[in-house]
Amino acid sequence: MDSNRILEHPILEFTEGEDLPFSFDGRQLVGKSGDTIASALHAAGVRVLGHHFKTGRPRGFYCAIGNCSSCLMIVNGVPNVRVCVEPLQAGMVVCSQNDRGVLP
Amino acid sequence: MQKTADVAIIGGGISGLSIAFQLAQAGVGNIAIIEKNFLGSGATGRCGAGIRMQWGTELNCLLSKYSCEFYEQAHEIFHNDIDIEFEQGGYLIGAGTDEELEQFKQNIKLQNKLGIESVFLSPEEAGEIVPHLDIRQIKGATFCHRDGHLNPFRTVEAYAEAAKSLGVSIYEYTEVRDILRDGNKLKGVRTDKGDINAPVVVNAAGGYSGLIADMASVDLPVYSQRHQIMATEPVEPMQEPMFMGFSLNIYIQQVPHGSFIMGRSDDSEPTDLRLTSSWHFLEEMSRTCTRLMPRLGQLKIVRQWAGLYNMTADAQPIYDEAPELPSFYHAAGFSGHGFMLAPVTGHVIAKRILGEKPDIDVSSLNVSRFKEGGLLPTESSVV
Repeated sequence: MDSNRILEHPILEFTEGEDLPFSFDGRQLVGKSGDTIASALHAAGVRVLGHHFKTGRPRGFYCAIGNCSSCLMIVNGVPNVRVCVEPLQAGMVVCSQNDRGVLP
Repeated sequence: MQKTADVAIIGGGISGLSIAFQLAQAGVGNIAIIEKNFLGSGATGRCGAGIRMQWGTELNCLLSKYSCEFYEQAHEIFHNDIDIEFEQGGYLIGAGTDEELEQFKQNIKLQNKLGIESVFLSPEEAGEIVPHLDIRQIKGATFCHRDGHLNPFRTVEAYAEAAKSLGVSIYEYTEVRDILRDGNKLKGVRTDKGDINAPVVVNAAGGYSGLIADMASVDLPVYSQRHQIMATEPVEPMQEPMFMGFSLNIYIQQVPHGSFIMGRSDDSEPTDLRLTSSWHFLEEMSRTCTRLMPRLGQLKIVRQWAGLYNMTADAQPIYDEAPELPSFYHAAGFSGHGFMLAPVTGHVIAKRILGEKPDIDVSSLNVSRFKEGGLLPTESSVV
């Protein structure tokens, strides 16, 4: 169990899921079934999910409910995916997004 | 608030601001704009803010050409640093039917004769300009590279600052309650903050111009209809021109920020001044858009809103002095094109008030044409 994983939550209960391998900017990582992409990245110690298209400032996990657009990433080539509410699937290719996104 | 004005203009949208600016530039001293909300809070700030010279009647071509040339030089004319974001990416207008295609060929001849550099394109050529357009849906297209779109909020600000620097007074959050008249003599306006005595009053109230005409007890055959727009999340630039289709019933542009904004017409839209948003529009607009531009189906919609088209029976504006009340002027009935026509609106109304001849003869846009059976030839190039 990685030390960054959120284990306790006032409302949600977490059950130990099976391993789901995925890639982040070319690195091979492993999340758990039941993870969102963002929760898997957080558990793996990833804090910077992309950079603002204009200012270049780092952007991270913020609202965690699909509202704030801070966690937009490119997933399997699709830009502007709100990874905080996108369930993780085995084999996903997740990339940092540093522009406004280019539609495939 | 001031007690008197030489000219009181009702409506702080793009039309009222343009009229005030043109009058002030011509030397008229004491001009008051009365706006019941904030500047641009009506149709101006809610519109698509496109401007095109590709029209089907000579008068509309000339009016929009005047406005386009004004916006091209706005920076020099206004003498301020406000960027109105006039992006001249052109308008690509798609023909959805063979009949429309024939009409477009006629339109191009007319436009070229008037000095408008529009061209006729095959579906394939149109697809080179907007690659995500499904060219099987169009029979052909026309394109004019000088057409484009502006930021309506910045344009309002630029006009307002220019007008203020020439001495125009602007009263926001001030609502006109009555038009003061003594028999057939115009006396001024009554507002919720007091009366302004003015020998000349202009009705530039956009969607609410009918209410103002009622207060003045003059006839203004207009009605207002809700039109809606929706906006997507931003993406990197991928569509330079505004794309528009009349039978296809769409206009869609990508603004500099990256969002796509789009609208369409719907005869079932209410005409009771309501500004609510509807699910029906969301669904129909999405369908219309993704049928023509399937790739845009990947975009999320982030907003929708509504504004009022102030309609006339021939979908063309009314520029006139009220026959029943001398010195009460109408600049109304823009039928969805008030933003693009604003520069020429200011010009022709200011000239009329000053008793001078405008650069373009707009006498056919009189208010009496609806009574006398003098409707203008139908303009088919409208959404």
